[in-house]
Amino acid sequence: MLSRVADSVFWMARYMERTNGMLRILRTNYISSQDEVRDFDWHTLLLNYSDAGEEKVNAIGNHSIRVLEHLLLDRDNGPSVINNITRARENGRAVQDHITKEVWQCLNDYYHLIREKHIQVQIKSGDPVTALDALIQQGMLYHGTVDITMARGEGFNYLNAGKFLERAILSADMLNIKLTELQYNLQAPVELPALRYLLYSLSGYELYLKTHRGNLQADQVIQQIVYNEHFPHSISYCLRQLLRYFERLEPESLPENYRQLEFLIGRAMNNVKYSIIDTSDGEGLKQFLQQTRQELFGIAAAFNQYYFGNS
Amino acid sequence: MEAHTLLSKYGIDDRVWDEMFGREGIRPAYRNMVSAIESLSADEMTHKDELAKKLFMSQGITFTVYSSGEGIEKIFPFDIIPRIVEAVDWEHIEAGIKQRLKALNIFLKDIYHQQFIIKDGIVPAKLIYSCPNFIRQMVNVNVPFDIYTHISGIDLIRDHDGTYYVLEDNLRTPSGVSYMLENRSITYRIFPDLLPRNKVRSVKDYPDLLLKNLVSVANRQKSDPTVVLLTPGMYNSAYFEHTTLARMMGIELVEGSDLLVDNHKVYMKTTSGLKQVDVIYRRVDDEFIDPLVFRPDSMLGVPGIYGAYRTGNVAIVNAMGNGVADDKAVYSYVPAMIRYYLNEEPILKNVPTYQLENPENRKLVFENMNRMVIKKTNESGGYGMLIGSAASEKQMEEFKRAVEEDPRSYIAQPIISLSSAPCYINGVLQPRRVDLRPFALYGPEGIDIVPGGLTRVALKEGSLVVNSSQGGGSKDTWVLQ
Repeated sequence: MLSRVADSVFWMARYMERTNGMLRILRTNYISSQDEVRDFDWHTLLLNYSDAGEEKVNAIGNHSIRVLEHLLLDRDNGPSVINNITRARENGRAVQDHITKEVWQCLNDYYHLIREKHIQVQIKSGDPVTALDALIQQGMLYHGTVDITMARGEGFNYLNAGKFLERAILSADMLNIKLTELQYNLQAPVELPALRYLLYSLSGYELYLKTHRGNLQADQVIQQIVYNEHFPHSISYCLRQLLRYFERLEPESLPENYRQLEFLIGRAMNNVKYSIIDTSDGEGLKQFLQQTRQELFGIAAAFNQYYFGNS
Repeated sequence: MEAHTLLSKYGIDDRVWDEMFGREGIRPAYRNMVSAIESLSADEMTHKDELAKKLFMSQGITFTVYSSGEGIEKIFPFDIIPRIVEAVDWEHIEAGIKQRLKALNIFLKDIYHQQFIIKDGIVPAKLIYSCPNFIRQMVNVNVPFDIYTHISGIDLIRDHDGTYYVLEDNLRTPSGVSYMLENRSITYRIFPDLLPRNKVRSVKDYPDLLLKNLVSVANRQKSDPTVVLLTPGMYNSAYFEHTTLARMMGIELVEGSDLLVDNHKVYMKTTSGLKQVDVIYRRVDDEFIDPLVFRPDSMLGVPGIYGAYRTGNVAIVNAMGNGVADDKAVYSYVPAMIRYYLNEEPILKNVPTYQLENPENRKLVFENMNRMVIKKTNESGGYGMLIGSAASEKQMEEFKRAVEEDPRSYIAQPIISLSSAPCYINGVLQPRRVDLRPFALYGPEGIDIVPGGLTRVALKEGSLVVNSSQGGGSKDTWVLQ
């Protein structure tokens, strides 16, 4: 497979995963913003998913609709959802001969959907949840289409490697965003809704309820997001899947390149596996999350260097 | 009946050949199709029209216009009423194109080798050497199987009496074949059962034939040569076509930066190292293909690829330097070439063409400018062209001045009226002018022409310009069995 093609497939998957993650966190945050007495504070989220300056963040930080508009539809905001979908489509367009026609059409439809007037009107002046649901559903359609139509070859492996790497980064980020909002102080009685919304954003609330009978505790929520092997958004699960798809690339890899990446993925997995979460040590938790993110970014950089021929 | 309102406003012009209506009413080829859509209400027709647009949009058969910051997705306008070619006409066209391509291909070999045609005084040397697309680097380069014009699109038009004329030969990187394929796939979606009932010949073999030819020009003794399609990239207006063809043939779609040349061999950069490339179907123009030999500022090509080609380590399709054969001034010599090389009379006629280098021709053309089309010899896409009947005095004066300054770069032809075909516009059928571009594939085993082609249509009323860049659209083209 061409290095450029592998690069594009990998990034197409990353942008699609990022889109899904953002849509879900925006959906739960928007709902929670409607459910509170005081103004909902979007600042932490904006710091992560907006490249606007402090002035703009402060100006819109307490206006839910304006935040949604900015994070979903603002072309001038680099990380906005519409830009992510556009980039996913551009990457898909550049590798149309390596993804199936169905996957390409699905991406293309996604692009046309978010540009549709009724979606934009719903977000700006109607019911944003309806619009978000429609967008999330199109994303689900993409995942199903990939699963059903794509051959299990090199392209599929890069696609999944990109997807799980991005998902691990997203889970670490979302946990970090929520804990930052709580100032990493988990000893004081934590506000329960905050943790519930975090689980909602990661599609993990139902699993939590089934496992812990509704007893919402910070410690257990973090355990699920970091370690739970049955939770498809946990960092451990994502890393294990990343390794699984990466190992399938071995026959088509140059041996020295393969060893470099295998080492980095293995190290990240072990660092997560042999860590201890102590909710009384906020600072330690923060450091752990930051280190994990660094390692994930290191893996992405190594793919770029050893497999995509970019230095 | 509804249908007769559909047809009632169909006004035909006696000076124009209409593909559907003749003196005796609807021509036999169209009868079946007309009776099928007769029973449809205006609503149903409009619904079909909208469905076609939606299908093009969702399949991404679009090109992006970047005029206003954010890209606007546009579809290449498609008219739902097919253009129908009868079997007997097709036989004539097929034979004519094959003959023409044989002669043009020998001409290219001759002009880049011994140049007998110049020595025998058939084609003036000055005409060839003054042609900007005559590539000196191709002189004495041997190309695999002596084939230059692997893929060509020959533009045909019909005069008022229905005679077919060749308007242009496109021998470099002709585009539009994906629209031939996609238009067909849209037609069977919007008109179920209509294709088999009319015994329309299939066009779906095109990618297989093309791949077979590409594989067979590979030089290495290898059962499975590596064939790639070289595209200028996703911002090219024909990018959709490049991806479609690569996908249909199952070959790698590469950009210039994916390839490199080492020791006169071409390699592509893959995740598992370098892999040698044997055949390149390039959609990058000659002047951009190798910055070391042609335009040094080109980012689309591959440095050193010309050397690899010359050495015979890679086959490039179409050959470089074909522009000298589809130059608009060289065009007028094609009938002479057919007589000279093949000793046959041309089957398809040329449009009479006046070389404006000749002062007598110039005088004649200037005196009759309102009945002439003046074209720049090295431009295409409907640019650099003046249609006398539709031009203002000022435009004519400007063109006259330009011609006087550089007569070699211009030719003139009498205006051929172009036949008309029914189009579904604003709820009724209306005649619009059309041309026809069949695609021919020249391989070691001979020439194949899939029965069909791209019918381009001038959607503006009265317009004679069918180019997509100038408001033209396209139609599905049926060749009947």
